[in-house]
Amino acid sequence: MKTQQFFTNLKMFCVVILLGSLYSCSEDFTNRPPEDAISLDSYYSSNAQVESATNGMYSRTWFQFHNKFFFAIAEVGSGNMYTNSGDVNAMRNFSITGSDPELNVGWQSLWANIAQANAIINFLEDRVGPNVSPEVLQNTIGEAYFMRATAYFYLVRLWGAVPIIENNLDYASSPLINTNRVEDVYELIRRDYIQASQRLYEKVRGSNYTVNGRVSKGSAKAMLAKVYLYLKDYNNARILAEEVINSGEFKLYGGPTLPGKSFGDLFKFPNNNNEESIFALQWKGDGNYGSASNCNTQFGISNGTISTSNASYGGVFAPSQDIMNLYSTNDLRRRETIMFPGTSYPEIRAKNGSGFGPLVVPPADQIGGQGAGSAIKKYCIGIENGTETGPVDPWAMMNNNTYIMRYAELLLIHAEAILAGGGTSSSAVGLASLNAVRNRAGLSSLSTYTFEDVFTERRKELAFEGDYWFDLGRIPRAQAIAIMSAQNRGDRFNAQFFTPTDSDFILPYPTNEVAKNPKLLDPPVPYVFN
Amino acid sequence: MRDLLLGLTQIKKVHWNAFLLLLLSYSAMAQTTISGVVSDPKGTTLPGVNVTIKGTKNGVVTDINGKYQIVVPPKSVLVYSFIGYTTQEIAISNKTEINVTLSDQSSKLDEVVIIGYGTQLKKDLNGSVSSIKAKDIENLRQVSVDQMLQGKVAGVSVTNGSGQPGAAASVRVRGVTSINGTNEPLYIIDGVPVSGDATGIATSGRPIAGNDFSSNGNSGNNATSPLSMINPADILTIDVLKDASATAIYGSRGANGVIIITTKSGNKGGGKIHYEGSTSISNIYKKLDVLNLQQYAVHQNALAGIFGITPRPEFSQPQLLGPGTNWQDEIYQTAIINSHQLSFAGSKDNTNYYMSLGFLDQQGNIIGTEYKRYTTRVNLDTKVKDWLKVGVNVNGGVSNEKFTINQSYGGLITNTLLQAPDMPVRNLDGSFASPPSGQNVNYFNPVAEALTKDNSLIRKNFLGNVFAEASIIKGLKYRVELAANTEFSENTDFTPAFDRGSQFNLTADLIERRQNWYSTNLKNLLTYDFNIKKHKFTLLAGQEALDSHWEGIIATASGFQTNDIYTLNLSDVNTRTVTGYKGSQSLASLFGRMIYDFDNRYGLSASIRQDVSSKFDPASENQKGYFPAVAFSWKLSNESFMSDVKKYIDNVKFRIGYGETGNQQIPNNRYSALLGQQNSGLGAGFLPSNFPNPDLTWESMQQTDLGLDFTLFDARLSVNLDYYIKKSKGFLYQIPWPDYLTGGPSQYGGIDAPYSNIGEVQNTGYDVTVNYATKSEGSFSWNSSLVVSHYKNEVLSLVDGLPLTTQVNTNGFQPVVVTNTLVGQPIGMFYGYVTDGLFNDLATLNSAPIQFGQSVGTAPGQTYLGDVRYVDINGDGIIDPKDKTIIGNPHPDFTFGFTNNFKYKNFDLSIFLQGSVGNDIMNLTRRNGISNSLLFQNQLTDALNFWTPTNTNTDIPRPIGSTSNYNLEISDRYVEDGSYVRIQNVTLGYTLPQKLISRFKIKNIKVFGSAQNLFTFTKYSGYDPEIGSFNQNVLLSGIDNGRYPSPRIYSLGLNLEF
Repeated sequence: MKTQQFFTNLKMFCVVILLGSLYSCSEDFTNRPPEDAISLDSYYSSNAQVESATNGMYSRTWFQFHNKFFFAIAEVGSGNMYTNSGDVNAMRNFSITGSDPELNVGWQSLWANIAQANAIINFLEDRVGPNVSPEVLQNTIGEAYFMRATAYFYLVRLWGAVPIIENNLDYASSPLINTNRVEDVYELIRRDYIQASQRLYEKVRGSNYTVNGRVSKGSAKAMLAKVYLYLKDYNNARILAEEVINSGEFKLYGGPTLPGKSFGDLFKFPNNNNEESIFALQWKGDGNYGSASNCNTQFGISNGTISTSNASYGGVFAPSQDIMNLYSTNDLRRRETIMFPGTSYPEIRAKNGSGFGPLVVPPADQIGGQGAGSAIKKYCIGIENGTETGPVDPWAMMNNNTYIMRYAELLLIHAEAILAGGGTSSSAVGLASLNAVRNRAGLSSLSTYTFEDVFTERRKELAFEGDYWFDLGRIPRAQAIAIMSAQNRGDRFNAQFFTPTDSDFILPYPTNEVAKNPKLLDPPVPYVFN
Repeated sequence: MRDLLLGLTQIKKVHWNAFLLLLLSYSAMAQTTISGVVSDPKGTTLPGVNVTIKGTKNGVVTDINGKYQIVVPPKSVLVYSFIGYTTQEIAISNKTEINVTLSDQSSKLDEVVIIGYGTQLKKDLNGSVSSIKAKDIENLRQVSVDQMLQGKVAGVSVTNGSGQPGAAASVRVRGVTSINGTNEPLYIIDGVPVSGDATGIATSGRPIAGNDFSSNGNSGNNATSPLSMINPADILTIDVLKDASATAIYGSRGANGVIIITTKSGNKGGGKIHYEGSTSISNIYKKLDVLNLQQYAVHQNALAGIFGITPRPEFSQPQLLGPGTNWQDEIYQTAIINSHQLSFAGSKDNTNYYMSLGFLDQQGNIIGTEYKRYTTRVNLDTKVKDWLKVGVNVNGGVSNEKFTINQSYGGLITNTLLQAPDMPVRNLDGSFASPPSGQNVNYFNPVAEALTKDNSLIRKNFLGNVFAEASIIKGLKYRVELAANTEFSENTDFTPAFDRGSQFNLTADLIERRQNWYSTNLKNLLTYDFNIKKHKFTLLAGQEALDSHWEGIIATASGFQTNDIYTLNLSDVNTRTVTGYKGSQSLASLFGRMIYDFDNRYGLSASIRQDVSSKFDPASENQKGYFPAVAFSWKLSNESFMSDVKKYIDNVKFRIGYGETGNQQIPNNRYSALLGQQNSGLGAGFLPSNFPNPDLTWESMQQTDLGLDFTLFDARLSVNLDYYIKKSKGFLYQIPWPDYLTGGPSQYGGIDAPYSNIGEVQNTGYDVTVNYATKSEGSFSWNSSLVVSHYKNEVLSLVDGLPLTTQVNTNGFQPVVVTNTLVGQPIGMFYGYVTDGLFNDLATLNSAPIQFGQSVGTAPGQTYLGDVRYVDINGDGIIDPKDKTIIGNPHPDFTFGFTNNFKYKNFDLSIFLQGSVGNDIMNLTRRNGISNSLLFQNQLTDALNFWTPTNTNTDIPRPIGSTSNYNLEISDRYVEDGSYVRIQNVTLGYTLPQKLISRFKIKNIKVFGSAQNLFTFTKYSGYDPEIGSFNQNVLLSGIDNGRYPSPRIYSLGLNLEF
């Protein structure tokens, strides 16, 4: 009996111990900090960590914008490119809708840049540790201002009135907000580029390309000069352009200061972040979808026999019938922009049947499914070929940079700013800028020039780089409509002509966004700046 | 002296039996000898049955063959009793041979029902609990137990997400309560908690096969069932706790119902060897009408004309062409399924054992798919001391499957339907063909895809528990239980290098996923049973700690030199990338319960649980949640004034219960902001990946249940009725912020919207169960069971009235919004435009509201005759996104199951019907199949009937050569009635007569043939009206986007018992 009692007590004792001990440790037991991510509050303690904060904003945040949308709107819409691929051809005939998936992801991507920039602009200063130097901190915040301005610059040119968001958390409890007026968005862009130019490092782009990647004071000023052109503030555009030119930060690739290079070299993978690059997206395939550039596949040739891509589809975008006549045959940019039948490109590795070799462009009737009769050369670097092309990722995407702005454009901005909206100019500095671009392309110098000259030069120089649509959007509307309705937007068999209306120059808001916030359709409201 | 005493005692012991025998034989001289055989309803003889003379302690036990012989005084009554069977009393009269069939207890009210952390007699239940026995589901040839619940339990609706073996089903207990979190119930398998959530929202959130669960990624419907590692043949009972008064004891995990699965254990009465084997063939019983080559040529010519493209010269004489490739015939196969199950069960010296081995080899109905499963189980319990019982239950399961992508634009079924018939499967040289060059088609040769790609998944799951149960004093028991569950899985996804001309893959690509998770669960329970006169109490106090960990490694590589051997080490070293993930969660709980019964008339249960969850901010009080419940029952028929009506109506019981449960199944660390790695050419960097919400706390669910149970006609007919109101408050949801605040998903550099406690959802409904059984006397017996479930779901409130639109990726990599969730409506309603036929005359067109801002005309971007006439819902004179509205309801009016078992002599027949009435289906497969918007892709034959100026009596609009044209907007054109009634199972069995087999030492042989999914009555035009939810997502229910159809299966099998 006694023993039994003892055991009973012992058992009870064990129970109590077990219950007690298990419960008392539950405070730690239920604290599970992340095991595979970094907590925001414990990061940013060193200069290196702060510097890396913006790395993702040179690629990932732009991926969805750049992947197809950018070209589907800016190049197909402007009549530079032709495609009959259902996902990207809506702007060929101005029939894009708010349900267009590319329109949706392009919109998202630009706002991703703004959300990430806002996180840095508003909170980084409070989060950095004492070991971070103020210059590093300010440079990183400057990069964020630069990205926000650039994203808004695209938004306002594509959609017009959009909401201005300087701190996403301000709208956490009231996310349904109005759009703001176009002039207010431009004011934000202007302020942001000025903030960026004050905070970013001064740089000189040298031959060590690995240190050229990040934007600088000069990058911000160059972008702001472009914004001033859109605002028709030619004086400020000129001042900024000249500041950048005189700083000597950038050089024309293949121009007098870099004679060993050429226009074509600008688009080779080893020349990422060369001396001409003002701002470029820096792709890096890392095994995740959405980290590299698909231009090599989307452009180029894929006809079932000859392919310039590691993917089995390709050549989704092709040159329009209209742009094929743009270049004179002595223009060095012709070969580097469009692949015409018969041209050989020893620098591009291609698949030909079951073998591989240098690309020789096949006859017009054998160039890809678009039926355009030629293919896009720019940004096409061919099938993976060691250090010449860099690696491909599982989606056949590659790591060659995409220019948002390069020095040649700044020179053209400068030339245009000097015209100041006037008829003809013979300004020596203006001519110097314009002729530098022309001479590199193998064209003779002009002695006087008009807006028309600069406008055409911009199209030739920047074709397939996503600019012509925006150029068409900033000239008088009737003039733009006249240009576009005269473009042959069909394939090589069927000429097709479409006339845009005024409203086709502004994209519809994504249907899903309107569903979430019908106020987007209300008239824009003024924005109160602090 | 001492030795003598000891010797005497021994003599006593040894001779006691002999003495007893002597006594018996002495009395026998004046008495009768009765003999006979005791068997169960199947005819299996039962050894170990106690046969006693009523009113005495005298008795015998049946021998190994179920035979007994007993000597009794005249006019005795014999009592036959055996665990698990209803005790029977038979007066001997003048008989000398009495053969008895004992019926098992399942149809009786005194059966034991498993409730959370304990048991209760069914008649004493205060809450709403449904039970299923092994025999109720033994005919259903399903891979996993969740699928077997379909149509068997009132209030539980089950839909299979895919016909792929091993795929996850969606199980909904009483409607849909959560939008973001899982709606799957909690399963307790022999005490081991297993979440029914196949998507692991609260854990890694990653599929074990494929990239993601998103509806616009191209992994498709790839959720695998968390229960498929349990062999259904091992299951003894399934108890479904439905109302909150029953589930609240599971606190935060009880909101979606709790399903308790108990596996078999050894019974008294000698060892049993049981074998069951079956062979089945399965096939896809329906194919869709797609264009053959002649029709395709005609169609392509017509489209080319309309799109302004030169027609293909090879199609200039369509009538000269053959039928072309029938891709459905090429891709679907008649499959063979083999299943074997061997078990050993018994009981010896206070030790019960059950051991089993199972093997399933199931070919898929799509070529190249296969599912193999090996399972084993050991259940053992023993009494170590008279006060201590210990036991162990261990389950091991290994499965090896080759699967395919379905419900995706890149999926095999979509590829099959849309692949052009002018392409052969193989070229003349035997290599796989690809589309002719120049077409730029995204569809791959589906046969080549199925046969050359390796997409395989190996899962190794071990689950089990050990327990010890001590009786401390009379009625007081202490139980400690340690359970663990772990799974290792390996997914190999290999695309070989190939060059089929227009389609090629230069570098063979490999993705290897290695993932593992484990969870441990420790329980300490104290149970105290005691009576004070007519007051009966059962008290429970308990503690539980749950700890889960998961991690995984994902490696990709390409550039293999051969397609035959592909391990990571053989890949091009420059292409290798690797990533990983890791995490853990925990839950600490205390709980208590009192069950009180007064005079077998009034019952009361009250429970409370406190859960502390790692999901919420540890620095706040938000981690703690309290979940109380109370239930009351009144057994009207036990009142004395009811005794007169007992022969008409009996077992009348009223129940009322209320309880609160919670939900915490969200991803980890949403209370804080995290940095996700985002790389660029500048190097690795980190960007914020989510907006934090430190205020995040429990989602709570409150449920009230009213129940009535009664039996009629001497308990032949039993009825259970339940009515419930279930309200989820502050449910956990990732706020659907507009993209201008988030920048889209964090995968692409956006910042994920915060999770928050927003909104209320209510389900009201009723569950009806009606059973009828003949008394099992005579050679014919019959029982039927009808269960009917109805729920009405309504979103009561949402913060800011945010609509919750959800997209799926349709064919052509274009995601479209298909559902919306609005206040005042059920969750996940189909959302789009209402249509009113096509425009057939210019007068109507010109006076119609402006369609999407388009002018009238034939140019692209204009509306013209033959276009869909959308309805101006808001009456503002224009058709635009503001006119989108609810166009269909995926929720059924009711679902039902009707089970019928007939037995005549040695034959038994069971017929099981099951169905769903009043739900709609969004048929996106048809949308793709009649889109007429792209060349070079096949279409359904209906697509031929498109509008032309001379063919105006049609509902197929004029073809437009763009996949974003307005005729393809999601509209009521694609919504179909999804009601169906299905003959889910018919099984005919024959048990060989005992006389024939007993000489072979075989106890029982039964042969059976069955047909699964025999016939479906439906108006639905797609493959199969049972669509389910895309990866269990309630916002994507009833959307057919190329679903793997459920096959029809014919089986032949054999059941042997030694």
